[in-house]
Amino acid sequence: MLTDLNLSLFLAYKSITKGNKGTLVLTIFIMSLIFVNLVFTASIFLGLGNTVNNQVINTLYGNIAVEPKKDEKYISDVHSLEQKINSVPGVTGISSQYVIGAAFSYKDKSGAWAIRSINPDDEKTVTIIHNFMIDGEYLSKLDTDEIILGKEIPGGYGGDLEHLSLGGVKIGESVDVLFNNGVKRSYRVKGVFDVNFQQSNNLAYISQNEMESVLGFNDKASLILIKTGETGNEEIYIKKFLELGIKEEIKPWTVYAAMVKNITKSFDMIALLIAVIGLFVASVTIFIIIYVNTISKRRQIGILRAIGIKENIIIQSYIFQAMFYAISGTIIGLFIMFFILEPWFIEHPLKFPVGYVSLLIVPEKVSINTISLIAAALAAGLIPSWMAVRETILEAIWGD
Amino acid sequence: MVDDLTSNIGNKNEILLGIRNLTRIYTMGKVRVPALNNVTFNIKRGEFAAIMGKSGSGKSTLLHQLGLLDIPTSGEINIGGIDILKLSESQKAKFRLERFGYVFQEYALLPELTALENVFLPAMARGRKKEDYLKTGTKALEQVGLGARLHHRPREMSGGEQQRVAIARALINDPDILFADEPTANLDSSSTRQILELFQKLNRELGLTVLMVTHEPEDRKYVSRVIWLKDGELVEKEGIPGAGNLQIAKD
Ligand SMILES: Nc1ncnc2c1ncn2[C@@H]1O[C@H](COP(=O)(O)OP(=O)(O)O)[C@@H](O)[C@H]1O
Ligand SMILES: [Mg+2]
Repeated sequence: MLTDLNLSLFLAYKSITKGNKGTLVLTIFIMSLIFVNLVFTASIFLGLGNTVNNQVINTLYGNIAVEPKKDEKYISDVHSLEQKINSVPGVTGISSQYVIGAAFSYKDKSGAWAIRSINPDDEKTVTIIHNFMIDGEYLSKLDTDEIILGKEIPGGYGGDLEHLSLGGVKIGESVDVLFNNGVKRSYRVKGVFDVNFQQSNNLAYISQNEMESVLGFNDKASLILIKTGETGNEEIYIKKFLELGIKEEIKPWTVYAAMVKNITKSFDMIALLIAVIGLFVASVTIFIIIYVNTISKRRQIGILRAIGIKENIIIQSYIFQAMFYAISGTIIGLFIMFFILEPWFIEHPLKFPVGYVSLLIVPEKVSINTISLIAAALAAGLIPSWMAVRETILEAIWGD
Repeated sequence: MVDDLTSNIGNKNEILLGIRNLTRIYTMGKVRVPALNNVTFNIKRGEFAAIMGKSGSGKSTLLHQLGLLDIPTSGEINIGGIDILKLSESQKAKFRLERFGYVFQEYALLPELTALENVFLPAMARGRKKEDYLKTGTKALEQVGLGARLHHRPREMSGGEQQRVAIARALINDPDILFADEPTANLDSSSTRQILELFQKLNRELGLTVLMVTHEPEDRKYVSRVIWLKDGELVEKEGIPGAGNLQIAKD
C-alpha cells in the first residue's frame, strides 16, 4: 500500500516537474481562474447582500427598531422608554420618529410618500443620511417650515423612479403636503439626499417639533431606531430590553431586511446556479486536461502495465496530478482574491441600485469552493485514467 | 539482483515454460484470424531462443501470449506446475513484474524519467528499499554498458542506448525469462550487434533465459535455438548457431 502510494506519487511528481512546462502553467492558470470565478461570484453576491443589510441598518431602521404594541398606533411615554434603552451598555444611538403618509404636490405634479420626523441630533447617532446630502443642507432641530427629500421625490436628481417624481423641485422652492390626518402644510425644500438605496431615497424628513404640531400631541413615536456598537448581537440586546420590561414590539434589522430582500433571495439562487455551473466547468476542464494527458501517454500507460505496474498505481498518479493542479490553482486563486481583487474592490466598489457593493469573502464559502474544486479534480482525474487502464495492454501499446 | 542470475545456471535442463496447445484466434467482426494455432513446445531454463518466421506468421502473437500480455483463445502455459493463464489479472501483473522482463521494439521508456529512474521503477514497484533499488539500478545500467549515462533522459540518448536502458529495466527484478520482440528493428547494424552480444553475454555468463522475436536470419548465430513459425504453426528446427545444417525437431 505504502509502496503503491510512493510509486504513484513518484510518477505524478515526475510527470509534473519533467513534463511540458507550458501545459503545466496553462493548466494551473485555468484552475486558478476557475477558482476565482467560483469565489468571486459568491463574494460579489454576498457583498450585494451585505450592502443591502448595511443600508437597512444605516439608512432605515438601525440595528433594532421598537414599534407600537399590537392594536396601538403610537408608542407612548417615549421619553422614559428612551432612558431605559439608553441604560443598556452597548447602545450607541437612539432616534424616535413619527412616520406618516402624505400627498405631495408641486405645480401640476403630485405623489404620495412617507414622511418621517426626526430630532436631527438623535438621528445622526443612528443613520448616516446626513452624510449623503447631494444638494442643499440637512435638517436642523429648529426647522419648522422646512423639509428634506430623498432623491426620488423632487425629480431632476436622476432617481430610479423619475417618472413618479415631482418633476423638478429646486432647493428653496415650496411643496404642498397633505398629511394623512387631513392637515395641510407648505414646506420649503432645504436639502436633497441620496444614500444609493431606493427605499431610503423615497423618504422625506421634517423636524420632530413640526410633526408634533401637525399631529397635535407629543412624547409619542411610530418607530424608535436603536443603534448598537456592533452588528450581529441584536438578539442579546433584545433580550436585555425585554428584561427591562419594554412591552412594545422589538424587531432586529433582519426582519426589515427580509422585507426588502426578496431581490437578494433571487440573488442567492443565481449565485448558487453560477457556482454549480462553475464547478461543472471546472470538472470538465480538469477532465479534458487529464483526458488529453492520458491519451497522449496511452503507450506509456500500456508499457507500465506490461512491465507489471498495477493499474491502481497508474490511476492514483493521475489523481495526484489532478489534485496538484486543483490545489495549485486554489492557492494562486486565493492569492488573486485576497491580494488583488479584494483590495481593488475596496478601492473601487461597484455602484448597484442598492448602493456601493464590494466583495465579501466569507471563509466558509471559500472552504466550500476549495473542497468542491478538489473533489471535482478527484473525479475528473479518476475517470479518464480509469478509462485509460480499461483497454487492453496490447491496444494501449500498439493500437491506433 | 542481476548477480543472482548466476544461480540459474545450476538447473539448466529444467523446463521453465511448458506451452501446450496454445491457440490465439483474433476475431474482427465476422472474420476469424487464427494467428496462433495449437502450438506446443517447452522453453528450458538457460536457453537463448529466437522466434523466427515471415512477417505475419504469428511471432509477436506467440510472445504476447507467453509474456501474459494477451489472453489466448485456448491452451496452457505451465510454470512450476501451475497454468499461469488461470491467474487473475492482478496476479498476472504481479507475475509480469516479478518474474518476467520485457524489451519492446520501440524503446518504451518514460520520457520524464532518467535512465536510472526508468530502470529502478519495477524495483520500486516491488517495494524494495531506496538504497537497494538505486544500487541495483546503477549496477544493471553498468552491466549494459551505460554506467556513464545514469542521469540522462531518454531523449538525450541514442536508440541503441535507450534499448540498453530498456534491457537494464527488464533485468532489475531478476526475472526468470526475458522477452524481446524485434529489439533491434529500429537500430543500425553496430547498435544491433551490441544489443545481441549483450543478450548473448547475459545468457552465457548469467544463465538468463531469453526469448527473442527476430526476422533477421543472421541473428541465428547468437542464439542456442530457433523456433520457426509459419502461418501460426510451429516448425521447430534445432541446430548449432551458424552451422547451417538445421534439423527439424518436434517437441
Ligand atoms: N489485434 C489483432 N487483430 C487482428 N488480427 C491480428 C491482430 N494482431 C495480429 N493479427 C494478425 O495475426 C497474424 C499474426 O500477427 P503477428 O503475430 O503480429 O505476426 P508477426 O509478429 O510474425 O509479424 C497476422 O495475420 C496479423 O494480421
Ligand atoms: Mg511482430
